[in-house]
Amino acid sequence: MANVLDLRRRIRSVKNTRQITKAMKMVSAAKLRRAQERAIQARPYAKMLTNVLESLVRRTDAYSDETGEILHPLLEEREEKNVLVVFVAGDKGFAGAFNSNIVKAGQAFIGSRIAEGKTVDMELIGRKAVTHVGKRFPMAVYEKKTEHYDNELATHHEIIRHRSQPIEVAATHADLLHSLDFDRVSDIARSIIESYSRKEIDSVYLVYNEFKSVIAQRVVVEKLLPIRKLGLQEISAAEEMTKEQRDAVARAAVSSGISANIPEESVIEYEAKKFGTAEVDYIFDQSPQRLLRHLMPRYVTTQLFHAFLESVAAEHAARMTAMDSATTNAGEMIDALSLKMNRVRQAAITKEIIEIVSGAAAL
Amino acid sequence: MADTPQSGLLAVRLVTPDRILLDATAEAVELPSMSGYLEALYGAAPLLAELGAGEVRLHGGTSGDQKFFVAWGFVEVLPERVTILAETALHPNEIDRAEAQQELQEGQKLWQEAGDDGEKYDEANAITRRAEEKIASADGKST
Repeated sequence: MANVLDLRRRIRSVKNTRQITKAMKMVSAAKLRRAQERAIQARPYAKMLTNVLESLVRRTDAYSDETGEILHPLLEEREEKNVLVVFVAGDKGFAGAFNSNIVKAGQAFIGSRIAEGKTVDMELIGRKAVTHVGKRFPMAVYEKKTEHYDNELATHHEIIRHRSQPIEVAATHADLLHSLDFDRVSDIARSIIESYSRKEIDSVYLVYNEFKSVIAQRVVVEKLLPIRKLGLQEISAAEEMTKEQRDAVARAAVSSGISANIPEESVIEYEAKKFGTAEVDYIFDQSPQRLLRHLMPRYVTTQLFHAFLESVAAEHAARMTAMDSATTNAGEMIDALSLKMNRVRQAAITKEIIEIVSGAAAL
Repeated sequence: MADTPQSGLLAVRLVTPDRILLDATAEAVELPSMSGYLEALYGAAPLLAELGAGEVRLHGGTSGDQKFFVAWGFVEVLPERVTILAETALHPNEIDRAEAQQELQEGQKLWQEAGDDGEKYDEANAITRRAEEKIASADGKST
């Protein structure tokens, strides 16, 4: 049986652990608050951009009257042969099942597409996505071909893809999330749009943790391209939170002073919804084709940016919850150990008393 | 609109992907639209326009004259409100001149390498123009 000294040592060690997990929880809570704020601040822009595009698409037909061609390649639907999956996982561990849930959802989705005989490319966002998924599949190989003609006066660039496996990694972005900025997301969007336009991929899906509020989160597979309906999420698969998970995260949020409710819509957000939709005849001074060409890539960028922001907030929320339950568990363990220690101590005292008493009785 | 007052203040809002940069009022707003600068006054006709690189200038607002460098955006002008949606918006003091110079060189390099690809030329031109406007704005002599 353990002696009092050993137990006291263990209690001290668990107390230290509890302090660390508690500090980590508070840090995550602070980061979550900031991430949530950022996600909310980004909403008006996204909404306004969607509105402009919507009204543009409504006013003009998707197909040109003269040529019958589709106005923008991103609206074009074609048979899905090669799928791009954008994996958005976290940067660090200690976040419960956050990363493995995303990997699992992604794998299930990829598995279903592979079973249909399609090929899959992956774009990995976040350090954990790169380490968990990236290592297992080969990187895509591209060849850049440059042709010169007309006596070297003109050049033509072509990018050729050499595929060897049904699942390949198109690109990795390990350090994007911890300093997320719009320009870098815009670069990613551009490369995705380029490969979509040159028909290397036929559709794009995002796998990420959606974060509407602390208690409204889910892992979703969302279709990004082709754009079928603007401003409307097209969810292919979603995994909602279980009741226990929701309770756990709500408890963690309340104990760190974060509101679990969906934040109220600000005045600006409300007005953003009306952007470009007033009941008047606007003067448009550019041609729809030209506007679409400029707006479409931005729309895709905004969608990505938004998903990344939400995923970052969700990661912090997951870590906060994990650290909250770790703190609770440590507390319970301390209680159990203290009880045990007291019992052991009491047993020793009782034993001594019995010895003294029986010694005295024997006199 | 007969009942529109002749004078009044426009509510001006500048929104970027990250945040709401400005929420103020002004008597007039100059906007760098794709087809040249335009100025919106109180009671302007409703307009939607794409913005190029240049400066948004606010005149006569409650918080005085203000300038912001924007690179690509969209503006909605309503009689009493102007909402600007800008992909990049910076206060002239925030502009990093060295970085802008570098972008300028980058744009020129892209132009050289564009070959026969029309879209690449457009892109290179856009980058160059943006960098030039940025430098001009930092120097306080944007056209």
